[in-house]
Amino acid sequence: MTHLSRRSILRGSLAAAAARPFVGPYIAKAAATTASVWFAQGFVQDEDVSLRKAVADYEKQSGNKIELSITPFAPERQKIVAALTSGVVPDVLANNPGEILQIYGWQDRWMDVSDVVETQKAQYSDTAIVSGQAYNNVTKKVGQYGVPIRAAVVPTHIWRPLVEKAGFKVEDIPKTWDAYFDFFKKVQDNLRKQGERKVYGLGFQVTANGVDPYNLFMAFLLGYGGQNVVSKDGNLHLDDPKVKEAAIKATAYLGGAYRDGYVPPSAINWNDADDNNAFHARLMVMDVDGTLSTEVAVKEKHPDWYFKEMVTHGTPGYPTDNQGKPVPAIVGVTCWMIPKGAKNVPVAKEFLKYFAQPKVVGEFIELGLGRWLPVMPALAKSPFWQDAKDPHLRGYVQMGLLGPTTPDYFVFNLAMAEVRNQHVWSMAMIDVAKEGVKPEAAVDKAFKRVEEIFAKYKKA
Amino acid sequence: MSSSFVDISRPAIQRRTFARSLRGGLKGGEYTWALAFVVPYIAVFITFVAYPVVYGLWMGSDVNLYRELFADPIYQSTVVNTVLYLALGVNVKMFLALLLSGFFMRPGRWTKILLLIFVLPWAVPQISTFISIHWMLNGEWGFINNVLYKLFHIEGPSWLNDRWSALGAVIVSHIWKWTPFWTLILLAGRMAIPLEIRDTAKVDGATGLSGFVHITFPLLANLYLICTLLSTIFLLGDFNAVTFVSGGGPANQGHVLATVGIRNAFDLARPPLGVAAVMSALPMVIPLVIVLMRKLRTAEVQL
Repeated sequence: MTHLSRRSILRGSLAAAAARPFVGPYIAKAAATTASVWFAQGFVQDEDVSLRKAVADYEKQSGNKIELSITPFAPERQKIVAALTSGVVPDVLANNPGEILQIYGWQDRWMDVSDVVETQKAQYSDTAIVSGQAYNNVTKKVGQYGVPIRAAVVPTHIWRPLVEKAGFKVEDIPKTWDAYFDFFKKVQDNLRKQGERKVYGLGFQVTANGVDPYNLFMAFLLGYGGQNVVSKDGNLHLDDPKVKEAAIKATAYLGGAYRDGYVPPSAINWNDADDNNAFHARLMVMDVDGTLSTEVAVKEKHPDWYFKEMVTHGTPGYPTDNQGKPVPAIVGVTCWMIPKGAKNVPVAKEFLKYFAQPKVVGEFIELGLGRWLPVMPALAKSPFWQDAKDPHLRGYVQMGLLGPTTPDYFVFNLAMAEVRNQHVWSMAMIDVAKEGVKPEAAVDKAFKRVEEIFAKYKKA
Repeated sequence: MSSSFVDISRPAIQRRTFARSLRGGLKGGEYTWALAFVVPYIAVFITFVAYPVVYGLWMGSDVNLYRELFADPIYQSTVVNTVLYLALGVNVKMFLALLLSGFFMRPGRWTKILLLIFVLPWAVPQISTFISIHWMLNGEWGFINNVLYKLFHIEGPSWLNDRWSALGAVIVSHIWKWTPFWTLILLAGRMAIPLEIRDTAKVDGATGLSGFVHITFPLLANLYLICTLLSTIFLLGDFNAVTFVSGGGPANQGHVLATVGIRNAFDLARPPLGVAAVMSALPMVIPLVIVLMRKLRTAEVQL
């Protein structure tokens, strides 16, 4: 009988450890069919269910395994930044927040996925394809790093009963920009006369939290004709008189509405969900907020709200500019990406090619109740999006996919992402709203900051 | 001949002595077992203590980060907020805890029941309570302003819209949340004072305020100081109260170092800038830790 001494145990352990790399081909082979995928949790459960279904279908068809990690929105963002900082990355992740694609694209941290996009290139909208691109400051070229899967725009959400209580009809709402928003001031005035002490006309997020205030300001900037703020080549055009005039008008309107009491005072300190909560509590007549989350969040529990009482203004309904021309919708596109350092790129790419198929990605969007838009115009023709009984979907898909659209401006220049995250536009709105600063002075200050930020991202 | 023998042997003796001292007097197998037990602890220490600290120092080592940080107006207001948060939050809380621990020393069933109720804020989960406070302070639809209007027809202010009232709300929330914990610690400290000392003092006429000033406080002073230092270090890293009560608002004017660090690291996707924000507190933290260590050494001979 062999005597087990301390030395023999230590020797045996060392030998086993040394032999480990040579005795593990089976495990290595198993791992070659596995890819880890990260995605942000949905606002409604159906979004997560639809993702799990798409993943399960892929696993069944391919025989590969997907380790899916669904994390709430804000922690996932932290998880992604931490992963890219440490270098311990998953095989696939989606751009949460959207600008992550451009931020780390600049640093050459993504795999090129143009071969995946190529498989469906004819299907995608131009806005979707461009949104998956980023300038790479190492290769000095623009690369295709994202495979577009879904999109969102910023429609307006309105309570029909509050408009009617004020003595108006939704059909009375004017179609041009200033008149459209002024209408809700009249609604508030009338409601106040009826004793509604705390109902506000306009749900403007004049806050310095999250992405909502940037989206709001940019919608107004475009509404007033400031489309050229950053051109497609990434150049900043603050010296364009049209851009400056639009910025001043946007700051004046948004800050002025707050100052004049048409926006809830607490809006200056809202976080991402506060406007949704206030709107659902009918404390505002209208809200300007991205995606259809406001509507789909109540669809199951309050079908009456969804089908009768809430109005979504995409196109038609969304205001034109003051001259009657359509305003392009800024589209935020969610893309799949493969980080450099991913362990299983072949499976990752195979999974993305599967997911990018119109049937798969279309079903993924529709099972998620249509909170997000498809990125392929052909998908907008499906019975789901064209359902005449649904009061929200047709206008939403028209606005974000079939009508005039533009990618978010950080796609053209990464500096715009920092402008958003530093809340430069928010500070201009708040200066006017709360501090009584003149819009021209607030815009001058904001422009100076924007120029400083852009100076950091000069393309070679 | 003899001198050369001595010259050669000396280093050998020294080497043996050095090796023995390394082994701490352990022989043969004992030394191997000792190593086997110590190595996992060293590995854990290096992985979870040394590595993160060194990695953090490395991430925040670029001087340019601090130039950028100090030029940021949000950082400048953050430093002022942090100092106020620490100075008021810690000292008001500890002073209240000191007074309340005296109250809860009183005999009687009602005191015990009150103590039970008093510790509830500390016992309930902090994030949900801070979110509740955020909603209670909402200017339009919050509980506080609604009560003011219903009872007195007063339109309350938007509490979280002003930098100082928002910071005040954060400080009060922190005090409300953590005073019970430190009260219990000081209560335990008071209970550790031997009865003989208190009885003797009473015989000598040191009762009430006089007893507190001459007997209780001198005996509690070291514990009080240690608690204050610990609380300061804890509070410096506090993220929850600011994030969930005021959100660092209004307009990013209400941040403290911990929240601005998270903002820089993740909202701006610049972890080194976030680390730099937190590291900028080191000149204050290091002296605090040194004083705390010294006090912990001297605490053994008191009480």
